[in-house]
Amino acid sequence: MDSAPTISTQGLTRRFGELLAVDGVNLQVAPGQFFGFLGPNGAGKSTTIKMLTGLLAPSSGQIEILGLDLNTDPVNVKRQIGVVPEGMALFGRLTGSEFLNFAGRMYGLDRITAAQRATELLDFMQLADQPKKLVTDYSHGMQKKLAMAAAVIHGPKVLFLDEPFEGVDAIAAGTLKSMLQGMIARGATIFLTSHVLEIVERLCSHVAIIHQGRLVAQGSLEELRAGVEAQALAAGAGPSGDGASRHVASAEKLTLEEIFLRIVGGSRQAEQELSWLG
Amino acid sequence: MTTPTIRPRAQLAAIAWLRWRMFANSLRSSRGKAEVISRVIMTIFFGVGGFGGTLACGFAAWYFVSQGKPEMLAVMFWAVFLFWQLFPIMSTAFTNNPDSGDLLRFPLGYRAYFLIRLAYGCFDPATALGCLWLTGMLLGIAAASRLLLVWALPVVLLFAAFNLLFLQMVFAWLERWLAQRRTREIMGVLFILVMLSIQLIGPAMQHFERRPAAQKTLDLVVSVQAFLPPGLAADAIAQVVHERFAVGASSFLFLGSIAALMGCLLHLRLRAQYRGENLNEAAAAGVKQEAHGLRLGWRLPGFSQIVAAVFEKEVRYLSRSGAMLLALIVPLFMLVVFRLGPARSMWHTHFMRAPDVAFPAAAAYSLLALTNIVYNSFGGDAGGIQFFFASPARFRQIVLAKNLMHAGIVLADAALAWLLITFVYGRPAFEVTVATLAGLLFAAPLNFTAGNLLSLYSPKRVDVSTIGRQRASQVTVLISLVVQLVIVAVGVAAFMLARLYNNFWIATLLFLVLAALSVSVYSVVLKRADTIAIERREALVSELCRA
Repeated sequence: MDSAPTISTQGLTRRFGELLAVDGVNLQVAPGQFFGFLGPNGAGKSTTIKMLTGLLAPSSGQIEILGLDLNTDPVNVKRQIGVVPEGMALFGRLTGSEFLNFAGRMYGLDRITAAQRATELLDFMQLADQPKKLVTDYSHGMQKKLAMAAAVIHGPKVLFLDEPFEGVDAIAAGTLKSMLQGMIARGATIFLTSHVLEIVERLCSHVAIIHQGRLVAQGSLEELRAGVEAQALAAGAGPSGDGASRHVASAEKLTLEEIFLRIVGGSRQAEQELSWLG
Repeated sequence: MTTPTIRPRAQLAAIAWLRWRMFANSLRSSRGKAEVISRVIMTIFFGVGGFGGTLACGFAAWYFVSQGKPEMLAVMFWAVFLFWQLFPIMSTAFTNNPDSGDLLRFPLGYRAYFLIRLAYGCFDPATALGCLWLTGMLLGIAAASRLLLVWALPVVLLFAAFNLLFLQMVFAWLERWLAQRRTREIMGVLFILVMLSIQLIGPAMQHFERRPAAQKTLDLVVSVQAFLPPGLAADAIAQVVHERFAVGASSFLFLGSIAALMGCLLHLRLRAQYRGENLNEAAAAGVKQEAHGLRLGWRLPGFSQIVAAVFEKEVRYLSRSGAMLLALIVPLFMLVVFRLGPARSMWHTHFMRAPDVAFPAAAAYSLLALTNIVYNSFGGDAGGIQFFFASPARFRQIVLAKNLMHAGIVLADAALAWLLITFVYGRPAFEVTVATLAGLLFAAPLNFTAGNLLSLYSPKRVDVSTIGRQRASQVTVLISLVVQLVIVAVGVAAFMLARLYNNFWIATLLFLVLAALSVSVYSVVLKRADTIAIERREALVSELCRA
């Protein structure tokens, strides 16, 4: 990597009692990257994103965002990042417009700018037609769009999104994707977790995979693909070969789902049978 | 593949086990342990009240039956009925009414679902105390006439069954109305109005007692109550004492019919729940409205943008919670209640003789009315707490903004109380007004300090628009009670001292000295708000963001 990383962690660790949820993660995300953070359920994705955004204290390790230490300079870091956490962090008894106004001012925008951006964002997200509706009465997809709007109202340099497309319909997902791609085009860095691997494959230039709290892969999609294929070729010298080696043999590109399953060993689990199931 | 046989008894056992595990698992955290200790202390209080009530009911029942006045048992039946039905609604902090709807995902038969709902009701403190008092009545009746116990036992059991069914029916229908935000808010306002109206019954009766038509009204009330369940239960016993067995039996059957009717109404609601009714508001089509123009946020002169933004958010939250707003005007309402009350009542006499007492009392009451808001100030923010942590705002700014709104309410309440007292009782003396304001200057920061600490250390997620099914943290209930008692005790002592020397400036001086201390303590705690919030970050997020 040529430039200093936007997000960098060293030995990031988090314990919950006996459980080691995140184990010595070293992440490097370069400026302008659309970074997908993947992992099976319970692998430590949400825990990591919470630590990166200051919602959870690490047990040990260092986090630097935009060259600033999150632990020693949290306010300056938070000023430059936007977050859509797992629970969306909304205030249910405000209207959408009031909430965005509030969010803008909490991030230091003056009253007029906050109000102007709130109006623009509501229009962009197609949430402007029911100005008196309280956030608590929004559908899940509308709440997701509003949470996203609040996360970007101050024009953050880095955006952290925890499952941004979960429960969002295709139209809303399209709106969100075009906004995120626009941000990347203007130089922002986006760090997202998602279970929808097709979306990650389409949007993200770089990916990291966490499994059982440990970072098991990190790099561009091409780097990950090449790594898996090299492994498969080495292992496929046997009599039957596996999916990856067959792909290599037929010169087809591995999908992210195949790379992911290969890395976290999901294919072995899928082969297990529950004989009592109808 | 064979499908397992569903055995309702096994399901009920599984639910009992689930409840036990939930309780046992709650003990893992220090917060859970503190909750249990607080609950034990509260249970001891209730136990003393319950035992005292049992003795009182037993003695009264024995007295009325042995004196040949069994119809007077109606007084106790009414008391038990009112407590049993009103306490769970008034004191949701102590009410055990978990959502049985969560169990519907399992292959639960309707009968088992109905029984579970009733079983949940049996563990309610009001039910336990009600049963205890009814047992006391039975013992009293048995002491007066053992033979009567044979008849009184089924009557009292039927009355208990009616109360259980009625309470669950009320809760089930309330849930229906509370499921949607708008009806929920209307219900909240109606509920508080009803509660306030109950306060007016006594004074109104005393007020009209002096008029000639009063006796007629009283007779009418007595004859009407005889057809209602508590009256019917008393009548069923009384008629048998007077050897009018057929009339007694008819009262018993009528009571049984009403209990059955309550069961049917409960069945209607639970059946709809069981069939999976959907009351989701998001699913309902919204009415499209024209978008408004640019709406600027508020400015708060002398304070930062962040403080102003949080202050605005707090005021908007308050203005959208009818229940909270009405709770804040209760102190003013009470002044009217005391004015309407009988000329010989203690408060009325005090206030008329010395309107100077009314203003400090109303100011203290207005501070008490704020308890729920001040002592759990993040409770209504729910998932929004994550926004606070993710934003560059400092917690001291957030807490300060919340306290500014609380202080605004206290001042507004005090100003309105002053005007009302001037109109109703006469203008309070200047030195009393100043002493009261000085008292608020001491009491409010102290209250806010304790409230801020408890809000961070013992948060509890609440829906500010609802009145049901919300349990404040037991630790908060207990500690807030202690703090309020200390504040009231200091206030009363200062005013008594001032009256002793006939100089209210003594109280003012004392309050100002105490205010300097409480403001200092407040500042220290406010400065530590960021550190505490960071320390308590995980507990706050996990409690307030839970589904």
